[in-house]
Amino acid sequence: MSATQRRLACVVTAFALAAIPPLFGPYYTNLFLTFAIFSVFSVSLNLLLGYTGLFSFGHAMFFGTGAYATALALKHVSGLPLLAAVGIGVAAAALLALVLCPIVVRVSGTAFAMLHLAFSQMMYVLALKLHNITGGEDGIGNFPIPALTIPGVGSVPMKDEPANFYYFAIALLALSLWLMWFFTRTPLGQVQLAIRENARRTDYLGFRVAQTKAVIYVFAAANAGVAGSLYGLFHDLVSADGALGALVSFAPIINIMIGGIGTFLGPVLGTAIFELIEELASRYTEHVELVIGLLLVVVIMYAPMGVLGVARMLRQKWRRDAPAAGALQKTS
Amino acid sequence: MKRSVLAVVTALAFVASFATTAVRAQSAAPAGYDFNGMPDMSDFDPATWTSPTGDTIKVAIVASFSGPAALVGQVYWASAAWAAHDINKRGGIVVDGKKKLIELIKADHASKPDQAKRVVERMVLQEKVNFLWGTDGSNLQKIINETANKYKVIAVNTASLSDDLQDATNFSRYAFQTSMSADQLGRGLAWYYGQMRKKERKFYILDQDYSFGRLLAEGFKKGLKEYYPDAQIVGEDYHKLFLTDYAPYLEKVKASGAEVVFTGDWIPDAANLLKQARQMGVKLPFAHVFMDEPNFLTEVGVEGTNGLVQISQYGTVGDAFKTPEQIRYYKAWNDLWQTKWKTAPFNTPLFQHPAGNIGSYIEQTEWLFSVIARAKSVDPEKIIKVWENDSYRFTNGKMLKMRACDHKAIQELHILEFVPPGEQKQSFNIRPYYWNANYSAAGPIHAVPSKAILPLMDTNLDRCKGANPAGE
Amino acid sequence: MNPTTSMYVAQGLHGLAYGMILFLIASGLNVIFGMMGVLNLAHASFFMLSAYLGYQVVALTGNFWLALLLAPLGSALVGVAMERFLLRRVHAFGHMGELILTVGVGSIVLAAVKSIWGTESLQLKMPAILSGRVTIAGLDYPVYRLFIIGLALLILAVMTLLLYRTRLGKIVRAAVSDAGMVNALGINIPLVFMLVFGVGVWMAGIAGVAIAPILTVFPGLADQVGMDAFIVVVTGGFGSLAGAFIVSLIFGLLSSYGVQFMSELAPVLIVAFMAIVLAIRPHGLLGARDS
Repeated sequence: MSATQRRLACVVTAFALAAIPPLFGPYYTNLFLTFAIFSVFSVSLNLLLGYTGLFSFGHAMFFGTGAYATALALKHVSGLPLLAAVGIGVAAAALLALVLCPIVVRVSGTAFAMLHLAFSQMMYVLALKLHNITGGEDGIGNFPIPALTIPGVGSVPMKDEPANFYYFAIALLALSLWLMWFFTRTPLGQVQLAIRENARRTDYLGFRVAQTKAVIYVFAAANAGVAGSLYGLFHDLVSADGALGALVSFAPIINIMIGGIGTFLGPVLGTAIFELIEELASRYTEHVELVIGLLLVVVIMYAPMGVLGVARMLRQKWRRDAPAAGALQKTS
Repeated sequence: MKRSVLAVVTALAFVASFATTAVRAQSAAPAGYDFNGMPDMSDFDPATWTSPTGDTIKVAIVASFSGPAALVGQVYWASAAWAAHDINKRGGIVVDGKKKLIELIKADHASKPDQAKRVVERMVLQEKVNFLWGTDGSNLQKIINETANKYKVIAVNTASLSDDLQDATNFSRYAFQTSMSADQLGRGLAWYYGQMRKKERKFYILDQDYSFGRLLAEGFKKGLKEYYPDAQIVGEDYHKLFLTDYAPYLEKVKASGAEVVFTGDWIPDAANLLKQARQMGVKLPFAHVFMDEPNFLTEVGVEGTNGLVQISQYGTVGDAFKTPEQIRYYKAWNDLWQTKWKTAPFNTPLFQHPAGNIGSYIEQTEWLFSVIARAKSVDPEKIIKVWENDSYRFTNGKMLKMRACDHKAIQELHILEFVPPGEQKQSFNIRPYYWNANYSAAGPIHAVPSKAILPLMDTNLDRCKGANPAGE
Repeated sequence: MNPTTSMYVAQGLHGLAYGMILFLIASGLNVIFGMMGVLNLAHASFFMLSAYLGYQVVALTGNFWLALLLAPLGSALVGVAMERFLLRRVHAFGHMGELILTVGVGSIVLAAVKSIWGTESLQLKMPAILSGRVTIAGLDYPVYRLFIIGLALLILAVMTLLLYRTRLGKIVRAAVSDAGMVNALGINIPLVFMLVFGVGVWMAGIAGVAIAPILTVFPGLADQVGMDAFIVVVTGGFGSLAGAFIVSLIFGLLSSYGVQFMSELAPVLIVAFMAIVLAIRPHGLLGARDS
């Protein structure tokens, strides 16, 4: 895709996004926003998973931290501006990542995955235990959602205004997505791939693997925090099950796999597909777990590269190029 | 002459007194189930019942219909469908000048907050339902109430027991809580032990560690202070949900010298707690809310379940069936259960009697339909007008009143003392004279007066400032 | 014995019993995850499946021992089929592939269990011979819990013997360590792995039938025990049966004494212990496996 084509695609997408609230009404707007939030969350995990080869079993940690931090800030600090609240959520997630860095960058593979499971589970238990702060199972709800104040322009109310909130959230999510995409294009982003392929050799080449991992880790966490923060604002409710549960860690992994682990937009596509199937399944059948189970088994058995991976394979077949070797495709 | 005038005046006064009584009775008589029009329900099967469609009164049943908790959805669906089928067989309800049938729509939230929000929004915005019925789990009910408030749709909370759903922070005038509430339950049991039973004094509180468990315990402690100052709390513990091993807690219970264990646990915790207690040789009675699931009661057996005390939102003092109509109402369900329903879980002992929680869900739904019928409309404002301060009587005589300021149901609750099958005819007064042959169940049933257990009223809520908690 | 001492003893015994319950549940996962390095998130689902199968056997025959024999085999059969036809193909995608596949299979097991046995809670009847109580150290203690403790120790002993004292065990340990080499020596590696996997699922099945009489068999059973099993294996260290055993004991004692002395914090203790162990030794307490 050439630069002009890409720019055109961006403009078209921007118009399409802007058109959703007036064209489709509040229900589909909200549905799309949910998809957008979880897409960004999944892409942030893919920075670790697909790009750096770090398999995190507990990415919900950062999502939940972002959500809770924002909710708590708005609940306890009166008059807190909206953007500041989101900023606090992002900062909290990044801070958590920073704190975990020393432990986390020393490990990889299974230990990395399990460590994240452990910490994520601990946060979940604590969120339930410290119910005086976090509201326990019920969570923190009905916290004030301030209007967005744009200096010089005025203030845009957010609560009970699905369209306004949608534009605000989509703008932030798009920014987050773009930042992540840009990151993968930087030299640091390339080092990510090297670490994934062979961390030891990358180290021998003189790159500081641990520090690089740390930067990537904090960056991914911050973006997960953006998603979490917006999620909390969107629902006006942050609960342990919704923001920190095991399912919240599994969902992005599934999204990434369905969409295609080796690509940047794979997780976005995967989120769309998975959410669509979940929605349809729960509408038309009570055997939702059967549908989901079959979907997962079939996809991992027959299309483990995800939809985008399959698409690439087909494209290559058409062009009669030699198919790329190895299980995980290099990113485009 | 004077004597005849006196006679006539007395006679007139006598007749007049009847007239005024009649007038007063008419305005005071609470709404209730119309036994006279009771239709033939023999074609009802909860497994296969389908809703009418078209120009109907739409009620969304919000619950878990998939996932591990799917049984909950099935219970709600069977209960609401029974009530809906009854009305539909009578031809429906006259609403805005037209007779309309009741349509029920399943709204599956799979116990997930995200999905709850999505499905409730879909019900309101796409399916355009008139009412949201459900659910269990106060975190999910909050989502329902919020959406109801935002889009001005009536939400009927039939199963979420948390008191803070209708407090100053969360109250919505579109939400009505017809179910019992945690605080009431705790205080109700305290009232029974202190004011009626007056025997055991030492209580151990063992609840689930989440908002319901804590609220319930608070209610119990408050109730003891009020109604049983001599009582002693010899221990208080909150265990995690879905706990595997109760032994450490039971050990503490044994050491404490407790005479009764108070718990609000529900399945599977309720089952595991009782089973393990009996296995460990802890023979203490439990004061409980949800230890009424037939399979585990059967497993524990008659002896192990004897002496349990349940506080329930469905009951009547003494004989469960006092009039031929009540017997007919009961048999309509029970006969079908015995002969017609073949699909699990509807053919299992859980669904045998339209009593207990199932009975309550059915009748709460009937209350909703009664309100619609009297409002002659599904317009939320008209519903609110009828429902606030409305009085309703269940088929078994239980009285409820919708408190206007915070939409909580003032209601009496019933205490069920579990006794062996041979003694269950104290309540189950028709053949076969027991609720279940395999375990101890309700024998003597007592009522906790509604005045003793008025639902918690948040005085921070503006509407309730200066209001009388008894709703007068 | 004065009350305080007997209470310490009692809680110690409870801790031991719960530790053995945890070990029973986790041991199968330890074998599969620890030895084969396969992330099997369907482990708890096999536990649940076996509990249901056991319920069915008891419902049909009234014989608990038959259930203990047949149900784990049935569950193991399903597990082996999963390994042979599904799991084998996704090894190439590492843990992520295994996670997705086993989560999918777990979902399907849940759907199957609901379809076959319904959504209700069921009870697996405890065998009469084990349902009494005995006096131990002045305590009135359920026989069944002693049975569970005994069963767990038996499993530990048999597994250790098998792995370290038999030729088969030697082959398995070698295959786990270097499959290619062992394959070159003429051993049928896929068969060995299938066997190991089957044994792991079988152990989960044994746990399912053995523990069901003190729990309730319902569709949420897998969720109830799943996380516990993982936490034990992760903290104990992959590949280390001893590690899983020790950690199970520690968790059991933390749990019972935690409830006795600081019951508000009891659930946090276990997770905190896990977090601390992993922070210091990311591969688990006695873990040696290279990731």
